[in-house]
Amino acid sequence: MIRISHLKKEYPNATPLKDVNVEINKGDVISIIGPSGTGKSTLIRCINRLETPTSGEIWVDGKCITDKKCDLNKVRQKMGMVFQSFNLFNHMNVIENIMAAPMDLLKKSKQQAYDDGMKLLRTVGLADKAFNYPDELSGGQKQRVAIARTLAMEPEIILFDEPTSALDPTMVGEVQAVIKDLAAKGLTMMIVTHEMRFAKEIANRVFYMDEGGIYEDGTPEQIFDNPQKEKTARFIKRIKVFESTVMSKDFDFIGFNTSLEEFGRRSGISQKAIYRMQSVFEELCVQIVMPELTGDFVLNVTAEYSQENDSVCVQMKFSGKHFNPMESDNILSLRLAQNAADSIEYSQCDDGEYTNLITAKIK
Amino acid sequence: MNINKITNGNELAIALEGRLDTATAPRLEAELNQSIGGVEKLVFDFASLEYLSSAGLRVLLSAQKIMNKQGKMTVKNVNETIMEIFEVTGFCDVLTIE
Repeated sequence: MIRISHLKKEYPNATPLKDVNVEINKGDVISIIGPSGTGKSTLIRCINRLETPTSGEIWVDGKCITDKKCDLNKVRQKMGMVFQSFNLFNHMNVIENIMAAPMDLLKKSKQQAYDDGMKLLRTVGLADKAFNYPDELSGGQKQRVAIARTLAMEPEIILFDEPTSALDPTMVGEVQAVIKDLAAKGLTMMIVTHEMRFAKEIANRVFYMDEGGIYEDGTPEQIFDNPQKEKTARFIKRIKVFESTVMSKDFDFIGFNTSLEEFGRRSGISQKAIYRMQSVFEELCVQIVMPELTGDFVLNVTAEYSQENDSVCVQMKFSGKHFNPMESDNILSLRLAQNAADSIEYSQCDDGEYTNLITAKIK
Repeated sequence: MNINKITNGNELAIALEGRLDTATAPRLEAELNQSIGGVEKLVFDFASLEYLSSAGLRVLLSAQKIMNKQGKMTVKNVNETIMEIFEVTGFCDVLTIE
C-alpha cells in the first residue's frame, strides 16, 4: 500500500531521516517508537507530504507522491492525520468541524455530511456534544472529535502524531480506546507514541526509529519482549520518558511539576535531579520563553531518563518566532538553569509545529 | 507552600515550608506587602524550604530592599540545596544568612 525508498529529510541543522526503506501493507497497524529527535513525526509528516522530503520516493497505491506533478490534495484525501494538539476550528461547533471537509472536498450534501458526522460522533461516544464548541470539551473529548473529523473524509490510512501526549493522564485511556476500535476495523494506521503499553497492544508491527531510519521493524512481541538489535533493547529496557505539552500561559504549573516529580520518583531519579529538571523547565520555559510567546503556541517538554548512564535529558520544543533563551537578559533565570544543567543547547528547528528546540542535560 | 508567620512587636518571623516558585511566590509577596510595614527585624526560616526558583528570589530581593530602609533581614536554617542557589546567583552576598 505504501512503499518508501531511500527517504531522506534534512533540515539546516539536523537530519532526522537519512535513509528510510520500508513497505507498509493494507491493514497494518504500526506503532512508531524511539527516542526524541529520531524522526518519528517527520516520517509520518513526509508520508502525507506536510513535509517535503529532501530526497527519496514514497509510493502510495502505485502512485509516486513525491513526484512534483502529484496532486497533493488527492493524496491527502486518502490519508487522515490526527495531531497532538487537535487542531479543531474553535469558531465552529463539533458537528460543523466534522461536516466542513466532506462538504468542501467530497462534495457531500449538508444532510449527508450531517448524518455521516453524527454516525461518527456516536462511534467515538460524543453524539451528545454535537452542538458544543471545542472550548466546552475536555482534551480527551477534543481529540475524539478530531479523530471523528479525520474519519469523515473516509481515509484509507490514518496517521497519528502522538495523539495522547497533550492530554491529562486521566484522559489518555478514552482516546486510546477509540484508536483501538479503529484498529480492530481493519484501517491502515501509523501511530507515533511514547506510550509503550499502548504501542504494544494496538499494533501488528512496531518500528523502532534511531540512527536516521527504521532501526528495527518487527512484531510487538519481537520489539518489546525480544529485540534483536542493541539500541532497541537498550531503549525498551532502559529509557523512561516523560512528556507533556503546554498550550496556554495559564497552564497547570503545579500539576506539571507534580507529574514531573512522579515521573522522577517512578524512574528512580534522585530528588536533587528532580529539582534540577523542574528548575530547567521553570527558568527556561516559564520565566524566559513563555513571556516572549504571543497568541496561540505549543510548548512540548520531554524528559528521558537513561538508567544505563544514570542521566536525564530534558528537551523543550516550542512554536512561534525563533528565540534563543540563552540570549535572554533574564540573567537570574539563566544562571539558575545553567546551574541545574551540565549543558544547555539551543537550535532552530523545523519539526512540524515546532520551530525552536532546547536540549538540557541535567547535572 | 505553607507560610507560617509569627509577629512579636516589631519583629516578624516567617517560616516557609515546601516550594517557593512561580506558583507560590506571589503568595509570599502578598503576605509581605500586608505585614512588612513597621517591621524592624524580619527573619526567614528556611528549614523546611525544599525548592527555590528565580520567582522566589525576586520576592526575597524586594523584601531585602525594603528592610534595608527600615531595619534588618536575616535568613536562617538554609539547607544545602537552597544554599547552592544563593551561591550561584550571588544572593549570599546580598542576604544575611545565619
